[in-house]
Amino acid sequence: MLELRRVSKAFSGIVAVDQVSFTARSGEVTGYLGPNGSGKSTTMHIIAGLIEATSGEILFNGLPVRGNPIAWKRQLGYVPEEPHLYPHLSGLEYLTMVGQLRNLPSKTTSDQIDGLLRLFALHEDRHLAISSYSKGMRQKVLLSAALMHNPDLILLDEPFSGLDVATGLVLRSLLQELARRGKVILFSSHELETVERVCSHVVILHRGKVVADDSIEHLRTLMALPTLEEIFSQLAVEQDTAAVSQRIADLVGA
Amino acid sequence: MGDRQFHVLYRQFLFQMVDREVLSAHALGDANKLLGNFAATLIWISIPFGVMALSLDSGRKPWQAVLVSAWAPEHALIATTMLVTGVFAVLSWDSIFPSRRDVLVLAPLPIRAGTILAAKAASLASALGVAICIFNAAPGLALPLALIPPGSNLLDVLFSLLRTLFVYWITMAMAGMFVLSFVMLLQGTAALLPRALSLRLSSVLQIAAFCLFVGMYFLQPSLSSPQALAEPLNRRLLAWLPSYWFLGVFQKFEGIAGGAADSTMAWLAVRGFAGWAIAVTAAAASFLISSIRTLHKTVEEPDIAPRSRGPIWLPRFGSRLETAVVQFSIRTLFRSRQHRVIVSFFSGIGFAIVILFVKTPFAQQMAAASGTGPLREVTLPLLASSFVMMCFWILGIRAAFAMPTALRANWIFRITPVAGGLTALAASRRAMYAIALAPFWTASAAAFLWLWPWRAAVGHLAALGIAGIAAVELCLYGFRKIPFTCSWLPGKTNVHMTVILCLMLGLNATYWAAYYERRALGDGGSYAVMLTVLLTIALVAWWRTRDRAKSEDAPLDFEEAPAPAILSLGLHRDGVFPID
Repeated sequence: MLELRRVSKAFSGIVAVDQVSFTARSGEVTGYLGPNGSGKSTTMHIIAGLIEATSGEILFNGLPVRGNPIAWKRQLGYVPEEPHLYPHLSGLEYLTMVGQLRNLPSKTTSDQIDGLLRLFALHEDRHLAISSYSKGMRQKVLLSAALMHNPDLILLDEPFSGLDVATGLVLRSLLQELARRGKVILFSSHELETVERVCSHVVILHRGKVVADDSIEHLRTLMALPTLEEIFSQLAVEQDTAAVSQRIADLVGA
Repeated sequence: MGDRQFHVLYRQFLFQMVDREVLSAHALGDANKLLGNFAATLIWISIPFGVMALSLDSGRKPWQAVLVSAWAPEHALIATTMLVTGVFAVLSWDSIFPSRRDVLVLAPLPIRAGTILAAKAASLASALGVAICIFNAAPGLALPLALIPPGSNLLDVLFSLLRTLFVYWITMAMAGMFVLSFVMLLQGTAALLPRALSLRLSSVLQIAAFCLFVGMYFLQPSLSSPQALAEPLNRRLLAWLPSYWFLGVFQKFEGIAGGAADSTMAWLAVRGFAGWAIAVTAAAASFLISSIRTLHKTVEEPDIAPRSRGPIWLPRFGSRLETAVVQFSIRTLFRSRQHRVIVSFFSGIGFAIVILFVKTPFAQQMAAASGTGPLREVTLPLLASSFVMMCFWILGIRAAFAMPTALRANWIFRITPVAGGLTALAASRRAMYAIALAPFWTASAAAFLWLWPWRAAVGHLAALGIAGIAAVELCLYGFRKIPFTCSWLPGKTNVHMTVILCLMLGLNATYWAAYYERRALGDGGSYAVMLTVLLTIALVAWWRTRDRAKSEDAPLDFEEAPAPAILSLGLHRDGVFPID
């Protein structure tokens, strides 16, 4: 179980994440939603240990992660929003390096990498430099790197970005399968339809604060709205979307 | 619209000369500091040349003889300007043509290809012009002052000064443009080949051009006297030395008669003008053709040449983490052109010092003195050179380790359970030994075992190896990083004073150490003492580096700028203004 307790982050006095608290349980996929700039990626970075929170505490299975960051990172799989990879390495070299950095046994790692590359249809291109990969191929490398050590917690920041339809469908059912096998999955996306299908529990962030933290079913009943899109619009979208689109079209003289 | 676009692009390209991607987040937007460092280094180098120009001996010699004696410093200045330009062009290799990012950003915009290319060429010429001006600031004023004829009236003084100033600066500009044109021609020709081949060839050409400039500067003989210039045997050599062509151009502009060397000077000047015109025209043509071709091709194909299909095997280097770090370091160094240039730059300095060791009269005297007895092949310059080259090679690798590659991709090292302290030190240490010390030592072993009697070779190799270990350990002191993953902060390396002073002291010490070693190689007792001293130094360095790493609980560094001791709360942003 991943638990965030009053986590805040300020950059030069500007608060990006404000007293965020929520729990992501094992066995369920937790959707982490919010408009651009609401603090989703910042929270992901804090959980992954890429930046430090200004205040607050993160616990995993009841233990604070700050106490033993190395042990924490062993249990973590992370897919960042931007596919930043070393472009001079090939896909195979990159995954091998990640396996070595995670101190995984070489034989099983190489089998796992081989299997992942085949399943993600990257095996043919495994010796090509990542610089020549498409965005979707890079995303597949990131997913393989995040899963190869069988982590207990999987953080996914926009994991569907750039993926083709088939791989997107595979990933969708993979997340549900991993949750069924007891993994904690925190998943951030702007694709509300996917979130609605995959997640059982959502946390909605707006201007750095949690504005909803509940199961989708309960939110639907509570707010008397039929879809997650409408719930999200009500909680986190301040603009009248129709009016804004009309004004944009007017402004450019369309 | 075209003018405005040109100005915007010109500014953009000018500031792209510094690769901001490698800089620390703390230094973003502060690339000026890096340029300031570069300018300060050039000024530092230019001062001795200024002093040299001012100290022209005009004593009791006839004025004509003084002018002839000025040929040597004039040639030295032309050659150094060409070297500075060459090094500058090699270092900004990737900025010469529009990059893939430039094309991706600019291609969809309504900008004519000609505007992009003109802005690119203008930014490059401006940066180069500034570098030439800064380097020549001191000698460019001192030499015209030194060349004012004695006993002239004020008007003559003014005329002579203005004319020599004009001649000096026009010659330096021509020499600089010639070198830049040569580099552009090389790159432009390579860019005409298929993209994958051109990317591979381009990186080889970059290193080759660097070696050519450094080698030519230090290896070219001194032919600046009328006798040497008039010697028919030297004419074939002079035909291949462009720095002498521009000495001819200088004299042609200045209208100085050189007696017996007059015809050679005129011939050199013709070669200079013709060479300059051909190089500039060919470079402009190749720049235009290849740029327009590049603009189309770069969008379709990646910047890094795709690897050929098939894995490249690398051995294990200890634990899984150590293997990961060493293999990553090897692959990065072999595939990153920028990092190879850094290593070449340091090796070039080492090579220059080796040439000084071999070529100076003192070195030749020492070599001659050591040319007798059973160890006659074991010459002092060669002994000292091997130490110097090894130290600069290790320093180069260490400097390359500190420059990141694809900085934003380092998150993978930050989220994997890699501990700092001794674990990280062990990994970096293996990388240094595998990339820096082992290849150099192996190459030296092959060379010395071939050149020298085996006993002397083995003795020297043992000393070289232990000295190498000490050098590696000294380089790793306080290195709390994984190679190629930490951002770089300009201004932290104080190269101007400290390094140059250390270099002067170190070179002296190296020469005397080589002198002692040569004696020790023929005497078992002295050799044992020497090895014991070297071993002690290496052990102390190893222990000191290990102790420093052990005492640090902090995690690995991925950001060169230290976290501020006092964190600003930025309260004024919420409406509370600081009170003065």
